[in-house]
Order: sequence, then C-alpha cells, then structure tokens
Amino acid sequence: MPFLRPLRIPDVGPFRREFWRSPLRGPWLASFLSSALLPLLAICTLTGFLSHAAYDTDLGRNAIFGDRHGFGLYGFDWPTSPAWLYAATQGLHVISGVAATPILLAKLWAVIPKLWENPPVRSLAHALDRLSLTLLVGGSLFVLATGIINIQLWYPFGFSFVPAHYYGTFVFLAALGAHVAFKLPLMRRAFAKNGVFRPLRDDLAQTEPEPDLEEHTSAPASPALPTVSRRGMIGAVGAASLGLGAMATGQVVGGPLKHLAFLAPRGRGRGSGPNDFPVNKTFASVGIKRPMVGPDWRLVLHVGDERRVELSRAELLEMNGAMAELPIGCVEGWSTTQVWSGVRLGELARLAGANDPVELEVRSLQPRGSFSKATLNAGQIAHPDSLLALKVNGADLSLDHGFPARVIVPALPGVHCTKWVGAMVFREA
Amino acid sequence: MVRLRRSYGAGPVHLAVTVLSLAVVAYSLYRVFGELSDPLRFLIWFGGAIVAHDLLLVPLYAVLGALVVRVTRSADPSNRMRVAALNHVRVPLFLSGLSLLVWLPLVLGKGERSYMSASGLSNDVYFERWLVLSAALFLGSALLFALRLRRLRTMPPA
Repeated sequence: MPFLRPLRIPDVGPFRREFWRSPLRGPWLASFLSSALLPLLAICTLTGFLSHAAYDTDLGRNAIFGDRHGFGLYGFDWPTSPAWLYAATQGLHVISGVAATPILLAKLWAVIPKLWENPPVRSLAHALDRLSLTLLVGGSLFVLATGIINIQLWYPFGFSFVPAHYYGTFVFLAALGAHVAFKLPLMRRAFAKNGVFRPLRDDLAQTEPEPDLEEHTSAPASPALPTVSRRGMIGAVGAASLGLGAMATGQVVGGPLKHLAFLAPRGRGRGSGPNDFPVNKTFASVGIKRPMVGPDWRLVLHVGDERRVELSRAELLEMNGAMAELPIGCVEGWSTTQVWSGVRLGELARLAGANDPVELEVRSLQPRGSFSKATLNAGQIAHPDSLLALKVNGADLSLDHGFPARVIVPALPGVHCTKWVGAMVFREA
Repeated sequence: MVRLRRSYGAGPVHLAVTVLSLAVVAYSLYRVFGELSDPLRFLIWFGGAIVAHDLLLVPLYAVLGALVVRVTRSADPSNRMRVAALNHVRVPLFLSGLSLLVWLPLVLGKGERSYMSASGLSNDVYFERWLVLSAALFLGSALLFALRLRRLRTMPPA
C-alpha cells in the first residue's frame, strides 16, 4: 500500500495546469538552461573552495570559523605562482556567480509550474523529491544572494557571512547532486527528441509548444500563442548573463576594460596618484591611533617566543631593497596590479636569525578584526617577490594602503597581505 | 522491489541517493547550528530566499510582463509589429530590472557606512549609473525598433 495517498487539492488559480500558459516552457528549455548553468556553477563552486584553500586555514589563526578544516581537508599549501592565481580564481568566482544569476532565474521561471503541481504530493518519493528541490532552490538562491550582497559591502545578514556562505554551499551541492542524478535521463530524452540546439533555429512563426515527454513536466497543458521565440528568450537571458559577467570582469582585468565595471562595486579608482588604486580597509575605519604609525613606530621581529630585532622605518629603507610588480586580489572579486618595493621577507628572517622558518605570523597594529593577523606558509616566506612593502609605485605607502609597512606576497589573498604591520613572528620547524 | 516501488513511489537507487543527499544537508545544518552565532537567521535567510523568489519576485514580474503585453496591445501575436514592439519594451525592461535586482544594495545606497570604511568612497553614484544604463537600454532598443519598423512595413504579412 502506498505510504502516502495522492491528495488532490481544489483546482484553483496556479494549481490548475491551464494557469501556466507560456508555450516556451518544457523539458528542452529547462535542460538547455541547466546545461548553461551547470558549468558556471561548477566554476563558481570550485573557485570558492580554492579561496578557502588560499587562506591556508590549517596555519596559525587563519581559520576564521569552524575547526581548522571544516569540510575541507585540502592538505596542500597555497602556492605563490603564478602571482595572479588568487586574483584569477577569486575573480572567476565572482564573475561566474554573477553571470549565473540570470540563468538561474530563467531556469526557475521555466520550471515554476512544478511548484504548483496538483496533487502536491503523489508518494513518499515525490515528497522527498520536493523537499530536496526546496533545498536546491533555497540553497542556490541563498549562496548567490549572500555572495552578491556581500560583494556590495552590505551586511544585513545577522550571521557571519563566510561560514554561512560555506555551509550553505554544502546544502546546495547535496541537493544539486541528487537533482542532477534524477534529472539526467529526462535531459537526455529532451535533447534526443529536440536536439541540443535545434529549437534555437525556430523564429517566432515556427515556435511550437514542446510536446509533453511524460506526465509531470513543465510543458503547458493549454499553451498560449508565443510572443517571443525560444532563441529570443535565451538570447535576452544570455545578454543579461554576459552583461553582468562583464561588469564583474571589469573589476579584475583593469586597463581600459575597467569601465565595464559600470555597476560593479569595486571598479572605481580614487584618482591618478601612486596610491590611488582601490583599498579594502581604510585607515580611518580600523581604529589605529595616529602616533602608533608615527616616527616612533618600530617593526619587531620575533623567532618563536623570543624577541630578536627592532627596526625603524629608516633602518628598513636602508636595507637591501627589492621591487616586485604584483597583483593584489580581494576575496570580493576585484584586483589591482601595482609596483611594490620594500624588504624581502626572507631577508627579515635572516636578520632575525630564523633558520628555515616554516611559518610567519604577521601582526597588524589593528586592535581588532578577523584579519588583524595572518600566518604565511614556508613557500610564501621564501619567495623572492614576497615583501614587507614600504613603498608603492615609487611613493611611500599611504595610510590607507598600510603605512608604515605592509605585506605583499604573490597569489596571497588580499586580506592576508597584512597592513600596518607591527610585529612578525617566525617559527622554525 | 515491487513492494518498495508501490509503497515508496520509486526504486531503491532513488531512495539511496535521497538519503545520502539529505544526510549531507543534515550534517551541514548541524555545523551551521554549531558554529553560527545566530543559526536561526541562517534559516530565515534560506527560507526567505525561497519565499521572496517564488511568492514575490515571480508574481511581480509576471504581472509586470502582463501589463507590458496589455500596454503594447500585443495580445494578438499574429500582429508582427505589435509583437516586435512588445519585445522592444520587454527586453530592455528585463535587462534594466535584472541589473537593479543584482546591484540593488548599491543602487539603493545600502551599506553606505561599510562601503565608505572599506573603499574610502561614497556609494551614492550607483543610482545615477543605473538610471543611465536603463536609459541607454531603452533608447538603444527604441532605435533598433525604428530600424526594424521600416523593414517590417515593407514585408508581406506572414
């Protein structure tokens, strides 16, 4: 005997199949949009996990939530090459997420009649399917919405963004896995019947409703006459996806393409001076008192628990200097390449007498905040382009960019390139 | 097997995949409740996203879409000119509305303080930028429509 009996509710409003009239809806349209959506979501998810790996959460206090690993047992040190690695992966994360949004909304439009199917529950399996779909819809909207709101620097959530976005992704992926497994056969049938691209050839006059492949699809029972062809609708969605993706891309590539970031949050410079590139935390906002970064400022080098060396800014400037052109990439998906000069981290390790340091904890003068300290791995300390930067583009760093000194390391997430450095602690093996 | 199919409504693979999927969801929620300072807000945002989309956004744009159909009087799709007019309104409306939706916090000037403390800039430029973008979309679409009109007029009806 069935565990649940199908219970039909009165055929009113959207619960009537005839209520949903668009002739474009059907398994082919849903499958086609899904095929466009899946690769974007794959890129977005993969780069998201790479960002988590880039924080090297097993080092020091780099993990800002959970135990040191959470779900992610990555087991590798984040590399230093290519230098643009993080700018690229995190740029892709934001670009793909933003570009996926119109396609996700179109896909939800294409299948919305199924929300109102009648009877609402046909069996236990169907009830679980619907629960799983609820999690899929909620999960996809949740991760995209929280991400998109977060990059606009608005924090209305009331929970901390990173763990919520992270665990929300697991809910989404779990539901997506089941959905793909269950729907792949339907997608194959829809493509076998209509071809993958063939419906795109139809102009408006040739646009016909999709035949129902089986009982429960999103194809309309009483289709209206079409007012747009499938390729017209898909073209508009594609244009939206490309347009939004281009806006996000403008924040990453810079140059003349930076004007693409018309509505994107971080496509704006502050002028043409050496320090006028974008900043992610202003000096005024972190609560460092002005005298702390005045002439009495000293960099203190420790090895383990031992305090070894104190250096003034003048002494640092007299040291054997180095210069590197490096991008700095923000977790919010924007980046900027500048010419930094200062002292190599390896040089400071030698000066402090640290032999083959495996970790370096960099402490900011910043009195609070998750990123007032960051720990670097051995490869990051040893790289010749890893600097304690004193200058940028030939000028002293501005207060907003970390004066008196900041860290810059190839491929390191921007928030780990600690500004207003007060102390560095090397740890030996 | 037949009994499972009859009582459950699907085969054993379906049951296994579903159980596995829900187990991952359950574990994720366990972590959410263990680690977030305010896990209820997580659930509110999660459920809120569904309600906001399915019960607010979709009806809103469906009604808006129906209004545009009425305004352009293109309910009769055999009239090509009307259908073209409809789409030349509908497409820029869609693109403008979507860019508003995606960049809503910026356009409405939300998070003004945090935007300022991060970037050192005011976020008050975005409303204007969105208006400019929307105007450009509608204007471009109108120009294209004018060009198409000339062609449509010279073509025989379908």
